[in-house]
Amino acid sequence: MSETQSAQPKIIHTQRRTLPSAIGEPMVWLTGGALIVCLSMIVFLIGLVVVNGSMTFWPRPIHQVTLNDGEVILGIVTEHERVPTVVSQDPQYRTLYRVGNRDLGQESFRWVDDTSIANIEIPQDAIMLEREVWGVWFGVPQSILEVQAESESIIAEGSEDVLNAYAELHRQARQRRMEVEELKKDALGAINHEMEQNRLRVRQAELESERGDEGLVRANGVVWGILILLAGSVGYVLYRFRSYGTELGSSKARQGQFIRTGCSIAIAMLVLTIWIAHPWGGNVISESELESMKLSVAQQETELLVEYEHVLESIDEIESVDSQIRMVVVEPTTGQFAPISQTLSDEPMLMSQVVRLVAANDLSTMQKAGVFTSRWVEYLTTNPREANTEGGIYPVIVGTVILTLLLTIFVTPMGVIAALYLREYAKQGIVTSLIRIAVNNLAGVPSIVYGVFGLGFFCYTLGAYVDTGASESARMNAWSWWGIFVLTGVTLMLGFTAKLWSKPDPGKAASQFNRIMQRVSWLVWVIVLILVILLVTGMPYFHGLYEARAQDGTPTFGARGMLWASLTLALLTLPVVIVATEEAIAAVPNSMREGSYGCGASKWQTMRRIVLPGALPGILTGAILAMARGAGEVAPLMLVGAVKLNQDLPISSQYPYIHADRSFMHLGFHIFDLGFQSPDSQAARPLVWTTTLLFLAIVFGLNLAAIRIRSRLRARMSGPTV
Amino acid sequence: MSTMESKTTDTNSPTNVARSVAYGQSEAAGSSYNVIDAIRRGEVPEATVHPEVLKAEGVIEVERFNLWYSETKAIHDISMRVPRGSVTALIGPSGCGKSTLLRSINRMNDLVEGVRVEGGIGLNGSPIYAPSVDVISLRKRLGMVFQKPNPFPMSIFENVVYPLRIDGERRKAVLEEACEKSLRAAAIWDEVKDRLKKSALGLSGGQQQRICIARAIVADPEVLLLDEPCSALDPVATLKIEELITEISQRYTVLIVTHNMQQAARVSNYTAFMYLGRLVEYGPTATLFQNPKLIETEHYVSGRFG
Repeated sequence: MSETQSAQPKIIHTQRRTLPSAIGEPMVWLTGGALIVCLSMIVFLIGLVVVNGSMTFWPRPIHQVTLNDGEVILGIVTEHERVPTVVSQDPQYRTLYRVGNRDLGQESFRWVDDTSIANIEIPQDAIMLEREVWGVWFGVPQSILEVQAESESIIAEGSEDVLNAYAELHRQARQRRMEVEELKKDALGAINHEMEQNRLRVRQAELESERGDEGLVRANGVVWGILILLAGSVGYVLYRFRSYGTELGSSKARQGQFIRTGCSIAIAMLVLTIWIAHPWGGNVISESELESMKLSVAQQETELLVEYEHVLESIDEIESVDSQIRMVVVEPTTGQFAPISQTLSDEPMLMSQVVRLVAANDLSTMQKAGVFTSRWVEYLTTNPREANTEGGIYPVIVGTVILTLLLTIFVTPMGVIAALYLREYAKQGIVTSLIRIAVNNLAGVPSIVYGVFGLGFFCYTLGAYVDTGASESARMNAWSWWGIFVLTGVTLMLGFTAKLWSKPDPGKAASQFNRIMQRVSWLVWVIVLILVILLVTGMPYFHGLYEARAQDGTPTFGARGMLWASLTLALLTLPVVIVATEEAIAAVPNSMREGSYGCGASKWQTMRRIVLPGALPGILTGAILAMARGAGEVAPLMLVGAVKLNQDLPISSQYPYIHADRSFMHLGFHIFDLGFQSPDSQAARPLVWTTTLLFLAIVFGLNLAAIRIRSRLRARMSGPTV
Repeated sequence: MSTMESKTTDTNSPTNVARSVAYGQSEAAGSSYNVIDAIRRGEVPEATVHPEVLKAEGVIEVERFNLWYSETKAIHDISMRVPRGSVTALIGPSGCGKSTLLRSINRMNDLVEGVRVEGGIGLNGSPIYAPSVDVISLRKRLGMVFQKPNPFPMSIFENVVYPLRIDGERRKAVLEEACEKSLRAAAIWDEVKDRLKKSALGLSGGQQQRICIARAIVADPEVLLLDEPCSALDPVATLKIEELITEISQRYTVLIVTHNMQQAARVSNYTAFMYLGRLVEYGPTATLFQNPKLIETEHYVSGRFG
């Protein structure tokens, strides 16, 4: 015993030291610090936007500045800074006043050196007028006049009286103005629209009669009947074999699939043929028909013109009443009152031209809050004025929201379906891996590239096709087109057949034949793709949906617009949805699928009842991410649809209600426009903040709504413990 | 085929020989393992089947069944009969192919890429690997319960009636009646009758497994397949499931795969001992556990081997 013990080596227990590098304290500081830096940057960003953005509309006092040379300025302090060019011991400062009154030929903002100021007062009776045109006017209210044809009477005089009388008179005046606007926009707009439609109808008929039906193959009644009968009988075959063979396993399954796909392709081709080559397609409008059409349109036009005159009369009526009530607001330096227009500077302005009167120096806090609120309401609900520097951004908000919703509606089903195939149906291998890599790379493409693609493909190629059909050079001879059509059908069937036989029999290993069929099916798909492109680009029967307008040089879909913009953004955000959906589907445990199969569910039933519901929260997360990404994109929109000003909303009460062809305004683009493209950048600057705030609020709001929907779904789908 | 076999079992490789030697040493009875040694050498010896099994009326007939996962052979020429109206247990060490055999009966193996079969299995006289067989309707004739409880993320009620739902059953009265009957049969009705609309994921593991059993029997299957139904459960839940199996076996034929010898002894009427994809011995449970014909079986059931 003792021998063995002594043979064992003696273990020396050394004290293991704790190295200074083992102490994690600095890492806590480092990581925590990094987090705090990130957080404070975000808080600072949001805080800056919120404070600057929301305070734009708070009324600020009007200063009456008397300069050393005796000149008097009325204005609002906008900025105060050290004069940059003067280099001296004691710094000099200058102030930027918003002085408005652009009608007088002056700049609406003016720098004043502090040294040249003799005196600053805050007069109680100074007011700021926000007007329909020419921006703001600073002055002192003198009187309200009622101007008749010959006489002129004073309704109110003196600052106090004017302000008292103003409220009611202004309300009436605005009412009249709104009526006029409505008449102009709705009544006149509708008449104009109808006349334009009539003109286009005639133009379209002319184009069609000019073109005739020459060279186009049409089925006569007998052939057409046979085609319909054929489609019906194939449909019957499909119906009979609807449950022949099942999805999994049996050898009958392949026959069943063969019959069903074959029949479906045949029916699709037959229906297309029946539709395209219908016998009355050749009934070209005759000369006499065209003449009678022109006649009735001309008749309608005279009626419409009479109506037009009526509307103009009633507009005149209101406007003559409106022109009676005038407001005299005098500017102190020259004693000039605010004129009705720049050319008629000796006539005082109309009451209805005033949007808002702010007696900024004579307001209690509550009244200031009232002005603040009314400005916000105006901002959110009205159209922009004065090159977007005044008025509201209603069309901008609507454009942004609709664009975001549309892109989500486009991208979600597209991405989900693609991901479903990729994850559930496609055989996992090199090809699917390549597709995944490609999709992920697509997410990294700079967004402006999508814009270029959208403009080039969607607007100028696809849009032009929608407008006018295939281009003359690509348009095919009708017989060759039908030849390719039949060839496409046959190839398609070949492809499906090859695909069906590329799968081994149940319980058997894939044979050489199966592998060859797999290759063949790929080849055939490529050929089918080429043939379909040929068919579409060479289509001789289709001359576009908006040919007449396009002939006039005003393309409908062949230009930038809402539809193409949302499709471009959908393409841009597609990878987000595909990746998220794939992950969500992969996260559904296989045991769930097995359980479902074990109950006798088919693959599709399992997908619909188990996989999709389980993956739904993840899919919605993808949709939300796509929405957030798409809502914030600006660069591609500049190319495919966002414009500086378009008050025609993409949805309206006018047929066809959704105007997907219209260009639109967008908050992101609006911010850029206000900040960098505005003619009056000083006036636009505060609005940049406000618009940014609104943009943030809308994107947050849309996301929040989507997250709420998701969490409600999630609560319904899963149990309390999971 | 012979090349494939030698590839798969790899009996002549030095590691396998070394292992069998090691077994022999540790058991000190290596020479007596005739059958197991033959299997380890890659042979397919004749299974020892007791005459009682041959006399019973079969509901499932496995005939010279072989199965490959791509190149790997998992089941070697198994022929066995599952007697009607009784519980049959499949036992054997891990990787002996008992789960594969079970999953071959409802063709769940079709879902695995590259599976290939030879030979046949008959269910109530109809061959299930015939080319004309509709797998979906085949699976509808069998109920299956998995190793891990896998209730769907939906309410208890919807879980139980799932097989009826996919058959297009919409009548509420029918569904409710079937649900109650099935839950009673699965001995869980009293525990869940007040929370049928709640998610099944909120139940305990044992309850979840009984929900899965209820789901498996709701459409009155011809055979109930249980794939180690208790391996993820605690002893109390296991006991309940075992009682339930005994109960259910009065109405349904049950085929159960288990790792637990005591469980096989407690719940089954017949037991099949499998090893490396071959059937070794198959007979009435009592005989197999107390008086087996092969020394290997005796050692395996008493835990001295495997």
